[in-house]
Amino acid sequence: MTDRLTALKTTLWTLVGILAAVTAVRFTWGLGSVTHLSDAAPWGLWIGFDVMSGVALAAGGFVLAATVYIFGLERYRPFVRPAVLTALLGYAAVAVGLLYDLGLPWRIWHPVLHWQHRSVLFEVAMCVMLYLTVLALEFAPTVLEHPRLSGRFFRGALKTLKKATIPLVITGIVLSTLHQSSLGSLFLITPYRLHPLWYSHIIYLLYFVSAVGLGLMMVTLESLLSAWFMGHQAHRRELSGLGLAASVVLWIYLALRLGDLAMRGVLGMALDGSRQADLFLLEITVSAVAPATLLLFRRVRSSLGGLALCSVLTVSGMILYRLDTSILAFARPEGFAYFPSWEEFAVSIGIVASFALIFIFFVEHFRVYDDVGKGARPVIRTSHDPATLFGLQPSVRAAPRRYSAAALAGMTVALVFLPMARKGSIPSPTSPARSVPGQVLVPDSGAGRTLLLATRRLSEDAPATKEQDHLLLLIDGNQNGNAVLFDHDAHIERMGADSSCGTCHHLSLPLDRTAPCSACHRDMYDTTVTFDHRAHEEALGGNAGCAQCHGADAPVKSYESATACMECHAADAASSSIIDPPRDRWLAAVSYEDAMHGLCVKCHEREKEKSPDRYASYLAECRNCHDPDLRARLQALEPAKSSQVEPQAGTQRRARRVP
Amino acid sequence: MSRVPAILVDTTRCTGCEACVLACKEENHLGEDRLRPGQETVDGLSSTRFTTILRRPGEHFVKQQCRHCLDPACVSACLVGAMQKSPEGPVIYDSELCIGCRYCLVACPYGIPRYEWDESVPYVRKCTLCYPRLTEGKEPACVEACPHEALSFGSREALLAEAHRRLASAPQRYVQHVYGEHEVGGTSVLYLADVSLGFLGWSDHLSDEPLPLLSWASLKKVPPVIVGMGTLMGGIHWVIRRRMQLAARAAEEATGGEDD
Repeated sequence: MTDRLTALKTTLWTLVGILAAVTAVRFTWGLGSVTHLSDAAPWGLWIGFDVMSGVALAAGGFVLAATVYIFGLERYRPFVRPAVLTALLGYAAVAVGLLYDLGLPWRIWHPVLHWQHRSVLFEVAMCVMLYLTVLALEFAPTVLEHPRLSGRFFRGALKTLKKATIPLVITGIVLSTLHQSSLGSLFLITPYRLHPLWYSHIIYLLYFVSAVGLGLMMVTLESLLSAWFMGHQAHRRELSGLGLAASVVLWIYLALRLGDLAMRGVLGMALDGSRQADLFLLEITVSAVAPATLLLFRRVRSSLGGLALCSVLTVSGMILYRLDTSILAFARPEGFAYFPSWEEFAVSIGIVASFALIFIFFVEHFRVYDDVGKGARPVIRTSHDPATLFGLQPSVRAAPRRYSAAALAGMTVALVFLPMARKGSIPSPTSPARSVPGQVLVPDSGAGRTLLLATRRLSEDAPATKEQDHLLLLIDGNQNGNAVLFDHDAHIERMGADSSCGTCHHLSLPLDRTAPCSACHRDMYDTTVTFDHRAHEEALGGNAGCAQCHGADAPVKSYESATACMECHAADAASSSIIDPPRDRWLAAVSYEDAMHGLCVKCHEREKEKSPDRYASYLAECRNCHDPDLRARLQALEPAKSSQVEPQAGTQRRARRVP
Repeated sequence: MSRVPAILVDTTRCTGCEACVLACKEENHLGEDRLRPGQETVDGLSSTRFTTILRRPGEHFVKQQCRHCLDPACVSACLVGAMQKSPEGPVIYDSELCIGCRYCLVACPYGIPRYEWDESVPYVRKCTLCYPRLTEGKEPACVEACPHEALSFGSREALLAEAHRRLASAPQRYVQHVYGEHEVGGTSVLYLADVSLGFLGWSDHLSDEPLPLLSWASLKKVPPVIVGMGTLMGGIHWVIRRRMQLAARAAEEATGGEDD
């Protein structure tokens, strides 16, 4: 075991420890406690990286299987097993990542039973599940070859699986083709949310071709890494061949991508200097242009450094492509940016780390890297050697302790940071302003946070004296700190039941839901007509007329910004009024007498003059209003009398809802 | 599809009193709103707010809610069929099937479905057009609550006729367009307005094509890909193996010939 490998494993175990801590929090308190996901960013790093990129990174499995088993290019056989193992573990990592991301992960099996064939995601889910099975069967011979598994059953299974290799490989290729492309098809349904530089009607083709190129480069990178960490020789000549193939595939990808953009006429957007344009240029350069060009040179292809550079470029660039489509180029409402939380990174990295450890386990215990190639010399200790702890070197025996310590350290560090992160993420319920009996309603100090101006039904706590069923509210009607009992039901009945709410509630604002009492009750002794907002609105031409009363520049069209009635209706006030026509907009209506004499009398006189034969002669006479019968009718409108009317069922229902 | 229940929202009549929001909250037992981190106000939809009033400059109030598309993207996106287009018309949600993938949130062209991010057992929440009430023969709670007749409930055809009648009778009052008549294949919540309602969707220019058709264009290629790719790979394998066998036999014969 090399020192590099020990260091790598220690690091990986630390990351797994961090993952463990975050995992506990994720599954105890839910997605909101560890992620920055929101309704504006429903998919984040776990989908963009773990799922989208994870599947793409595992594409090497089917590409290499096709190369060797279908096209018969035997010299690439050494890469098949590691590529299949990577694919198997990659897909397993995708499944594990999904368990973190799904809101209800224990239902991950639902697609098996509940089919919905119009869903692209259903196709992806089925393909991934089936392909995971195929990969397990493709890789199984490697495990079954182990000398410990020499029983008849295992030998029989091994024989059967080896016979089934070709059908398995073909199934794997078909399934991969389907879901590698379908991951792109997922975004076909979002033409209005995905930026035009990424949205394409052939996005499935782009995803498939890029996955093939990425798969080839991923196998290259992995082979270089394992050579470096495990200390064996890399297969230079074959790697060079893979590089050339990748270059060809990447050029095809580039032609398709740019050609599609040109066909749709949005190629110009790539140069418009916007954030998305820069992102696009960066992505396309790193993922395809640079590596595809470099790999054309034999010198780059045949040097390990050159290959490493190109594979790192392609791998990171193609991951960026997946992240772009699923996160970065996805439209969100303004002010809803998404950047993953450190916990999201910790989970993504932790999953990769744990599967890297599993990969190393397989490499150490099974014949994953064949020494078929020239000079390849695996220094792997325990291949085909069921070793016991006895006879191992002390450094090897110390390993479990070292790794446990690393994992525990990681977990501890994460736990130290976690509660703080949680505190910031779990919202505390905001306290809306409430009115309670005997207390004045005070709006919450955080004005924007006051949600519903909830008033409570008084009779629940202290039975109303007059009518048990009447809703009495304690309201601060004029918002001056003095609360009064308010008979809401009586008002509703008097004003005309359900259609009347707007008469008082027409100036609804988050913190000022009703017109103040003084808007109507200018006069102590008589009821007055209230301002009819709807009638004014219709007369002034709908919402376009708002500015006529509220002023065009008023930031909020509220009661405060409204013009006083008398500014327009000055002529309607009685000339003989003993009260100054109010200019204060808080006291909008003139007194009842003034209103009647100003509005009714003048108009009556006008109408009589205009068409004397149409209106009766008494139209402009005092007795028209000042009539004993009419007085009785007006008095019937008083609260004490109207409350004897049976409350309507609908009114009751409403009253509870709209205080 | 003869009598699709629908809501007509006449934004020129809405005064933003939010009686509909309160009625909706009571009907669906939604409780108080909670602010999520980074959220300044609760104006928008949330898992505790299925409908809300968007305030636009110039005293325009626009009711935001699920549009109950005739061919909904969310329904076609859901991989287990938890989002469903009910036979009556409203788009409803079966929480028993949902696995929590949130593809419906991604797919909705109007960005309507909301998720219970802060629950350890979270579900998708959105307006159901008061489906339980409809089955009882009642109109949706928000429509019943509206004091200004800004909301009307009825069959889609009847409301479309009414909308066009209003457009014709007061042409200066409205933008001459019934929002939702054709967008993404038509929706069951229709809007009349005196300003452009582009801000309600993600784009001003929603095409009339239902979004599920876009996915279907790729999904319908699945059977041909299975057959084609399978045959192609099998064929190539057969041809190459045959040629290698022939080459091996030829080499054998050649060496055999030399031996003779």
